[in-house]
Amino acid sequence: MPRSLLNIGAPLLIVGALVSLPVGLAFLGVIRFNEDLLFFLLAEVMLLSGLLVVTMRDIIRCGLAMIVCFGALAGIYVIAGAPLVAAAQVLIYIGAISVLILFAIMLTQTKDAPASLVFQTQALGAAVASVILALIVVITVAATDWGELGTRLHTATDALAQVLFRDYVLAFEVVSVLLLAAVIGGVYVAKREEGGPP
Amino acid sequence: MTLPPDLVAVLPLVAAVLAAIAVLLVDLALPGRRTAVVLTALVALGVVAFAAVAVGGEERVAFGGAYTVDALTTFLHVLFVAIIALTITFAPDYLVPRALPVGEFAVVLIFAMTGAMLLAASTDLLLLFLGLELMVLPGYMLAAFHKSDGYSTEGAIKYFLLGSFSSAIFLFGLAFVWGLTGSTRVADVAGALGAFAAGQGTLSAGLAMGLAFMTTGVAFKIAAVPFHYWTPDAYQGSPTPITGYLSVGPKVGAFALILRLFVEAMGGLRADWLPVVIVLAAVTMTLGNLVALTQNNVKRMLAYSSIAHTGYMLLGLAAWAAGRMEGLEGLLYYGAAYSFMNLGAFAVVAALQKRTGVTSNLGTFAGLGRREPLLGVLMTLFLLSLTGIPPTAGFFAKAYVILAAVQAGGAVAILAVIAVLNAAAAAFYYLRVVVYMFMRDSETDAPAVAHGRLLWGGLAAATALTILLGLIPGPLLEVVGRAARAIG
Repeated sequence: MPRSLLNIGAPLLIVGALVSLPVGLAFLGVIRFNEDLLFFLLAEVMLLSGLLVVTMRDIIRCGLAMIVCFGALAGIYVIAGAPLVAAAQVLIYIGAISVLILFAIMLTQTKDAPASLVFQTQALGAAVASVILALIVVITVAATDWGELGTRLHTATDALAQVLFRDYVLAFEVVSVLLLAAVIGGVYVAKREEGGPP
Repeated sequence: MTLPPDLVAVLPLVAAVLAAIAVLLVDLALPGRRTAVVLTALVALGVVAFAAVAVGGEERVAFGGAYTVDALTTFLHVLFVAIIALTITFAPDYLVPRALPVGEFAVVLIFAMTGAMLLAASTDLLLLFLGLELMVLPGYMLAAFHKSDGYSTEGAIKYFLLGSFSSAIFLFGLAFVWGLTGSTRVADVAGALGAFAAGQGTLSAGLAMGLAFMTTGVAFKIAAVPFHYWTPDAYQGSPTPITGYLSVGPKVGAFALILRLFVEAMGGLRADWLPVVIVLAAVTMTLGNLVALTQNNVKRMLAYSSIAHTGYMLLGLAAWAAGRMEGLEGLLYYGAAYSFMNLGAFAVVAALQKRTGVTSNLGTFAGLGRREPLLGVLMTLFLLSLTGIPPTAGFFAKAYVILAAVQAGGAVAILAVIAVLNAAAAAFYYLRVVVYMFMRDSETDAPAVAHGRLLWGGLAAATALTILLGLIPGPLLEVVGRAARAIG
């Protein structure tokens, strides 16, 4: 098979599988057509791009895959009825953090960095453990009666403000202290010592 | 002018944040003036302790039940301040010869203390999580404090990765608990769980999993076996004063979280989680001690021994769950006694390492009794206390916890027997260091280095507390009694 055909065919196959799985499930009646289909699609995109972030070798591509992952998560927030959180996700995670990370990679990356993953020695065990944990979570979630939490609520922005700045105002303030501590610590760890290695 | 009551309740926290900022500013304004930085830090810590005691005079509930000041809060606040102050006194002797900055060290340490103080006062799951993060995040950075040392970086990365995962697991569990109880307030969660305990309905699978995940997250933080894998590397790699802090501060802080979580929120389900705690405690103390037996590096040995001490503290929790209030008192007493004696032991190790290049291997201690008799005697005292030999604080703490467990009877009494056997086994590796100090010839003939006054001050405080808590346990016992009654 010519290489160009493979290059086009493999992604098409993956996308086809991604789309057809939830659509098939919807046709079979496992999931609801108009409500759950989009969620499943977005969840698939998120999981797959998340997997790509940690498995791809080229760190720039990892960063780009991360943006896709964040975007899919923002979509899930919209479906879950939290448009404000989705907007914040797009603005902060996609707009600011991802771009910052890409810039940081661009400015700091050295060409002689090891291309292979370092922490690979226990990949098999970790994979088995993850699958078992995922199965437990799926079974538990399916076995739980979620009551009215199963219905989707729309959180109005003013209601969110009430919760954030009244019930959880202390948590809100503590986060700023946490960020301050993280900035001070981060600057110290990242700072280049005089006469030290670059 | 009167302050709003909510603000009054969090004054100690505000004071702690301001203390960190003050130290930062002093370090900025007077670069290189370590004495000024350390003095500012100690004075500011004194103010924080004063604020904690002053605010703790009466019981306060603030921020809609998210923040509670009770006897437990005040006891833990003062304990955290003492831990941080002691760490700051013996750190410069280690940091300065290695050209590590004292200012940043003190600032980050005080931020960690703020997190621990928040943990001690939070009665809201979300705040508990934030307090936990604020406590451990500076810890990751402190573990990496010696940037040019490969071990420090390696230990820090392991600590950071496993710590982040355990935090994520905790948060995941928290989301389930919030979703199924409808609240993050500890009191509401306790009410919802209490209904299950009273036999109204059954605990749903999702809620059980949420609680299990939260338990796992906390078990990571206290380094209970089998969640302890990060401990030895993080402790051995970190600069010695930081190891001392890491083995005490985050552990006692995580126990504060356990008290709020297991005793307050999940107190109604104690019959269900008691077996889990018994197994955790038994495995933790046994494995910690067994591995400590084989260590030739004193820092690593103390790391494993700190795992064993986690097990003894869990014994107190088990005794409480089996109906003995003394178990809770014992846990708190143990937390205080362990903090002072362990910090003291690490202070001695740090003092010996003032000369750069000195390792924390057992050989370093050979002949110490002749080279530096005072340090040798103090180390012996701390090690005897860690072993649990009267009349030290360690003996009283261990005896109190074990007695409570014996009185609780049943499986907890069996656990008490395991604890006694473990304490006997632990004597071997603690006393081995004493043997090295007094019965082996020194491996080096380098002259003793002079230690700073600050270090001697810190050692004196740790020594005094280790002896006094063993000889006159009454006053502290009264304090922990009130603290235990506040939540039990």
